[in-house]
Amino acid sequence: MEKRLRLLLESGKITYQWVWVILTLPGLFLGPESKSQALITNLNLSSLVTAIDHTNLFDVEVTGRVLDANREPIPGATVSVPGTAIGTATDLDGRYALTVPEGATLVFSFIGFESQSIAVGDQSVIDVILAEDISSLEEVIVVGYGVQKKMNLTGSVDQVTSEALEGRNVGNLTQSLQGLMPNVNITPLDGKPIQSPAINIRGTGSIGQGGNALVLIDGVEGDPSMVNPNDVESVSVLKDAASAAIYGARGVFGVVLITTKTPKKDVVSVTYSGNYGIKSPVVRPDFVTDGYIFAKMFNDIFFARDGLYPQNINKTQTFSQEYLAELERRSEDPSLPKTDLDEFGNYVYYHNTDWYGHLLKSNFSSTEHNVSVSGGTQKSSFMLSGRYSDQGGLFRYSTDEFKMYNLRARGSIEVAPWLQINNNFDYSTRFYFNPLNTGEGSSVFRNIADEGHPTSPLLNPDGTLSYASAYTVGDFYLGNNGSHLDRTVIRNTSGFEANFLENKLRVIGNFNFQNINSDELRIRTPIPYSPAPGVIEYIGTTRNDIQNTLDRTNFVTANLYSEYETNFTEKNYFKAMVGYNYEQSTFQRHQYSRNELLFPTVKDVNLAVGDNVLASGGYDKWRIAGGFFRFNYIFDDRYLVEVNGRYDGSSKFPAGESFAFFPSVSAAWRISEEQFWPISDQVISDLKFRGSYGSLGNANIRPYTFQEQFSIGTGIILAGARPRTTSMPAVLPDGLTWETATTRNIGLDLSMIKGKLNLTGDAYIRHTSDMYTIGMTLPATFGTTSPRGNYADMETKGWEMILSWQDMFNVADRPFTYNIRLNMADWKAEVTRYNNPDKFLNDYYAGMTVGEVWGFVTEGFFTSEEDVLNHANQQSRFTPRIGTYQPGDIKFQDLNNDGIIDFGRNTVEDPGDRRIIGNESPRYTYGMNLNFQWNNIFLSGFLQGVGRQQWYPHQETANFWGQYNRPYGDIPSWHLNEGMIWSEENPDSFLPRYVTRGGTGGLLRQVQSKYLMDASYIRLRNVQLGYNLPINIINRVSVSAARVFVSGENLWTWSPLYKVVSNIDVENAVAPSDQMYTSGNSGDGYNYPMLKSVTIGLNVTF
Amino acid sequence: MTFKVKIMKTNYIWLFIIGTYVLTGCDLEELPVATTSKNEIFGTETGLNLYSNSFYNALPSGNDIVTEDYLSDINARKDRIIFLTEGAFNATSTEAGWDWGSLRNINFFLSNNEDPAVPVQIRQHYNALAKFWRAWFYYEKVKRFGDVPWINKPLDVSDPQLHAGRDPRIMVMDSVIADLNYAIEHINGNDASRTLVTRDVALAFKSRICLYEGTFRKYHSELGLSGTVDAWLTESANASRILMDENNYSIFTGAGTELSYRQLFTRVSPVASEIIFGRAWDIGLGLLHGANWHYTSSTYGVQLSPIRTFIQTYLMTDGTPFTDIEGHETMVFSEEVKNRDHRLKQSIRTGDYTRISGNEQVSALPQFSYTLTGYYPIKWSLDDMYYDSDTRNDNFVSIFRFGEILLNYAEAKAELGTLTDADWAETVGVLRARAGISGGLDAKPTVADPYLQSTFFPNISDPAILEIRRERSIELYLEVSRFDDIRRWKRGELMEMPWDGIYVPTANQPMDLNDDGVFDVYFYYGELPPVGERIPGVSYLNITPSPGNLRTLSNGTSGEILWLTTQPRTWEDKLYHYPIPERHRILNPNLGQNPGW
Repeated sequence: MEKRLRLLLESGKITYQWVWVILTLPGLFLGPESKSQALITNLNLSSLVTAIDHTNLFDVEVTGRVLDANREPIPGATVSVPGTAIGTATDLDGRYALTVPEGATLVFSFIGFESQSIAVGDQSVIDVILAEDISSLEEVIVVGYGVQKKMNLTGSVDQVTSEALEGRNVGNLTQSLQGLMPNVNITPLDGKPIQSPAINIRGTGSIGQGGNALVLIDGVEGDPSMVNPNDVESVSVLKDAASAAIYGARGVFGVVLITTKTPKKDVVSVTYSGNYGIKSPVVRPDFVTDGYIFAKMFNDIFFARDGLYPQNINKTQTFSQEYLAELERRSEDPSLPKTDLDEFGNYVYYHNTDWYGHLLKSNFSSTEHNVSVSGGTQKSSFMLSGRYSDQGGLFRYSTDEFKMYNLRARGSIEVAPWLQINNNFDYSTRFYFNPLNTGEGSSVFRNIADEGHPTSPLLNPDGTLSYASAYTVGDFYLGNNGSHLDRTVIRNTSGFEANFLENKLRVIGNFNFQNINSDELRIRTPIPYSPAPGVIEYIGTTRNDIQNTLDRTNFVTANLYSEYETNFTEKNYFKAMVGYNYEQSTFQRHQYSRNELLFPTVKDVNLAVGDNVLASGGYDKWRIAGGFFRFNYIFDDRYLVEVNGRYDGSSKFPAGESFAFFPSVSAAWRISEEQFWPISDQVISDLKFRGSYGSLGNANIRPYTFQEQFSIGTGIILAGARPRTTSMPAVLPDGLTWETATTRNIGLDLSMIKGKLNLTGDAYIRHTSDMYTIGMTLPATFGTTSPRGNYADMETKGWEMILSWQDMFNVADRPFTYNIRLNMADWKAEVTRYNNPDKFLNDYYAGMTVGEVWGFVTEGFFTSEEDVLNHANQQSRFTPRIGTYQPGDIKFQDLNNDGIIDFGRNTVEDPGDRRIIGNESPRYTYGMNLNFQWNNIFLSGFLQGVGRQQWYPHQETANFWGQYNRPYGDIPSWHLNEGMIWSEENPDSFLPRYVTRGGTGGLLRQVQSKYLMDASYIRLRNVQLGYNLPINIINRVSVSAARVFVSGENLWTWSPLYKVVSNIDVENAVAPSDQMYTSGNSGDGYNYPMLKSVTIGLNVTF
Repeated sequence: MTFKVKIMKTNYIWLFIIGTYVLTGCDLEELPVATTSKNEIFGTETGLNLYSNSFYNALPSGNDIVTEDYLSDINARKDRIIFLTEGAFNATSTEAGWDWGSLRNINFFLSNNEDPAVPVQIRQHYNALAKFWRAWFYYEKVKRFGDVPWINKPLDVSDPQLHAGRDPRIMVMDSVIADLNYAIEHINGNDASRTLVTRDVALAFKSRICLYEGTFRKYHSELGLSGTVDAWLTESANASRILMDENNYSIFTGAGTELSYRQLFTRVSPVASEIIFGRAWDIGLGLLHGANWHYTSSTYGVQLSPIRTFIQTYLMTDGTPFTDIEGHETMVFSEEVKNRDHRLKQSIRTGDYTRISGNEQVSALPQFSYTLTGYYPIKWSLDDMYYDSDTRNDNFVSIFRFGEILLNYAEAKAELGTLTDADWAETVGVLRARAGISGGLDAKPTVADPYLQSTFFPNISDPAILEIRRERSIELYLEVSRFDDIRRWKRGELMEMPWDGIYVPTANQPMDLNDDGVFDVYFYYGELPPVGERIPGVSYLNITPSPGNLRTLSNGTSGEILWLTTQPRTWEDKLYHYPIPERHRILNPNLGQNPGW
């Protein structure tokens, strides 16, 4: 046998390693193709030797052509001998030549065609004709309560599979979906790992009740950010009314169906995947850290407005001209001490502190481990998966920490040939610690802007905090304050699937319970600081407390449905489904707090001893019940019709209005299947027109909205306590009905050039009528908000498309496959009816485009006193503190030529000197996936972007306005770039004369054309380079497949914004301040930076 | 085939039956659990009490009370006042004050408080509370807008009253007094914490309202309501008299002439012998106010600083006017604060004022980082510097105190022409005695003070009225809105008074503010002395006229400090009432507009 082997090896027909593995490690997976393993359990050495013995070792030369059904050559088709490294690809004429062992079998394959195997036998010329593979049309798409072949779809449905989610190192599944599918709009508000914005489909749906996409995980409503991304098989999105109607009133603004992997029958596999990443902020906020430059500019901008020299730098430092002179002296002589004492023994500081340097690490790491075991027989299957994921924090001190654990156990058993019982259990828990600033209570980013003066240090020489530090990073340095946010989801679905009549009739039922615990433990302690050696004072003394918030949601879902599928004759396909769905959600809040912690390190309320004990609750319950049906009829694969409907009831609506029926219909015509279709299927292989119409109610509304409620609150101090209080309830509307969204959708699916080029396009008009908004603005003497009612309509128009190209060719005799997928979408919403007949600009009005920005038009800067005099009167409405405007001050255009710059009556008809200057809605959103694969090496890229979006920086945004907003604010480094700030020598600058509090007359606080920024962008979300380890190496260690990869997130971004504002990430910029602290906005961009990362990973299958 | 169809049918029938049963048998109604209902609120005293606590939300915030005089004639502030800038203020400038939410809350209560399960006396007590707060609501409305719609029920969406015009002031104020009389009659109970509305609070409020309305109608003769004046003044005097006769309150003198007055504003627990009503604060309960922040920060507040014209009205301790002294016009700060009414040093920083830094007493002269005029108010703020930044104050904020009642009484009687020497002695006399003044306590004055008359009230010749007005502006400085007094006395022109400050004998020379031989401040005209030549610890202030410099001296290089002369303040008589906000006139054109707007 050894002799035979040596012969084999010398002939080069079989690699040494391959043989070696087979010989030494029998009983394991065999074959170089990792994904199509066959387990050889009873292989032994002798049978292998026999197999080898029978192999003919003499070479045969084979040539031929590979053609398609029309006898056209197929270039780039693969010709190979399975189980060996022997293979080649066809040339432009479809020709190939290959030397193979005698008795070998050739496999011919190409994308879009069915593979063919031909035994060589004694042939030397083998021509093959490959049949077109329609598997891409056979692709199965998850739809509501079932699946559908893509070919048979009549509605608008997109789907991505697990491949699109692989190798991503982002906080959670929601984040990784951003940009993958057109018009599935996900806008993260910051870079926190727990960030999981609501998913919007096809733009603004309602300005009344609002509402976002319904997210279902394995058929039951759930939180996508808590799912183990490795468990996900596919994510499908139902966009139009016809697809979503089966979910009735909750699916009104689209449905996202997340389907997890199921165990395969007759296969056992163990898969490990893990990765390690290094993360860092995409853009690190960049402010002037030179104390003297900061102080000098503070002095100048303060004086320019107030005509006085400042005596303090906000609250935390005293200031004088003498101090400034001394600061200058010390900045020129770095040997002088940075901290000194004044005549009263108080600290005086001359520092150059980089507060963001103290706040943020330059990088930190993340890890993930995921193990899944899956196996099955014909009668039962089981899968167990577990995941651990963590992310170290971005903050240098008291860092945020993220940890997540997932466990899923899923299995099914065949009780009888017609009955299968299944169960799907899922446990997810997530821990996040978020440090807090107790001093002023808002986010650390805002507090640095207000009190993080470069002149002050983090620490005094004796290690105590400086006053500025106590308000900002010093709080983190001490590390006592923060919120522990823990969230746990336990879900279990038990179900059965029964089939009758040769699987034509199926009955499916399941019952799900879900417990969601969302807890916050918030600890706030006063911050000690030292204004003078030996003296300790505190800030945040009113926020000395510990608070526990325990939110509990119990969710129950039951589904029972049945479908019947048949072909009446060869040409008539019919499918019907009816079902029933019941859901119930009970939410309870338990919140308590107590003040005066015994020590700053206290973690439990038992150790709080104050008198201010607060306890509050909360309770929400809603139930829905609905019966639904779907009929599909297809004639001759050409004409497709689908009718959906749901009779839906919700406890959120008043009796008599709680049930409603929502029907929809859709149809499609595969014109390319018609006899008369004249175009060769070489050019257009498939063309389908689709159309749908449907109408859905909107149940996205808070429970009890229609009931008179007296809620209990806490009042002021009365007789030594803070008694509870209640007050008048909201005025209830008289008659009410559901908001209705009616969607008309047309679409086409096109497949060209043998399936290489595919296009799916949809256009839609969604008319949301009877939106539940505030009523007619009543005279203020009514005394409360006008009762809400079904008072408004809106129309959203949009389109989306996916264009993909896939092909392959040979590089160095090996196939190089690649594909490109571009998705793009747009929408625009207009309010068509609203209760604002006078069209006041502080509210919606009929004719308004969602996102529009009204503002003044910046004509430029005043150039001279004469220019001020000759210009329209800007002074009476925007009076400068020192009397008059000066050269360098902003000049608005007198749009209505009335000689005065003002707001008019603040209505559309009389907006004063304002007009619509832009729109803040993201337009032309797109994503592009690129995949290349060659010889076990793969490279992929994912670009995502927004084609058009404008941003007007909120007045408190220090990253943009710097000291123009608050004189003591930090200075964005880009303000010092040449030509940025006005001066007589630099009259064409970007920013006006250096005057604080919104510039002269506060003009910078008026929305205006000059500072409306272009916030469109393109971002390389992900790039991956991977390598499938050669089978002959990994088999030595009992591994059947192994892949290593390097993945990068957010490594490159371009935005026109960066031409001006270089110190803030474009996605951070347009987002409001950290929403953990306020639902309002204390300044755009005061939020956790977006992260970029480089990750190395390994996937191994045993 | 038939067999198959049969099974299929059976299945669907089965499903249909279940579906129909579940859908029709399923009552989806859900009732709230975490909130309560009308029956429970109005069917129990607990519920009524719970609801009545919400009335107190109409009280101004602590910060609003202590900064009420941000708009007044006798204080300078760092910014221009848009309200007084010609052409800058109009009916679109603000909608403040035109809010009717608390009224609906009261009317909803009054309309629903009729559950017989609650004894009638108890219902009346709570109705009385509601009516007190309705009077509170309307007093503010009438002061600000004059005529306003009178509404006494929660209106429906379609109620024509929503679009009705305004009711005349006379009708509205009569209704206010009717409410207040009901409150006085039906509110039960006392309250030592001075934070609950009691009958005494209602009386004190009546004393204030009636004085306001009486004098307003008297001096605003254009209203044509002169015939009603005496009745209002008499009602005011009577309400005050009840409180005076019942002897539940007195002027607090327990800490001597140098401390008693200020302690009314700095103690955490109210001085219950004098304070009738106010707001309490408690760090443990998480409610504080920010008086110190307002009165010490150069960026947070408006740097409110009293003007010299007002400071000069403080009498000498012997009861004679400071302005009678020869050369008082050119008296420097360290001199002019000597031997004055002891309320002066309890209202502004003078030479011996000290503060607490850590645990140490430190000298605290007027800091020009804050004061614009050199006079630095201390009335509401605490001495410990701990309170200076952020919202940290826990000192009780008085809203009604007996001192005001005495002044209301004296003024009403004086305006009625019935003020006696005895009245004088038990009102102004008592207040001046507390302030360490020795002369003129027993008999009402007989000579009009020429300074007071010429500077403030040229239309008043009655010496008693003049002196009562002096007393009121000093005793109630920064307390009971000075602007209300200006409006009812029809002396809006006073809002144009120059913002003047301490006298500077000559520029470019260091000054000592407290005679301790250490220089404190240096006003420079021209160039700031170079660093080497400056005296450590001295504030250098620019008084050189230039477009960017807002502080000058009245005679260039000497004289009184003048602040912000570049922004003239203009009084027009239309400012006695605010305009009806333009947007609300669009919503209800029948509201009309106040004269001049």
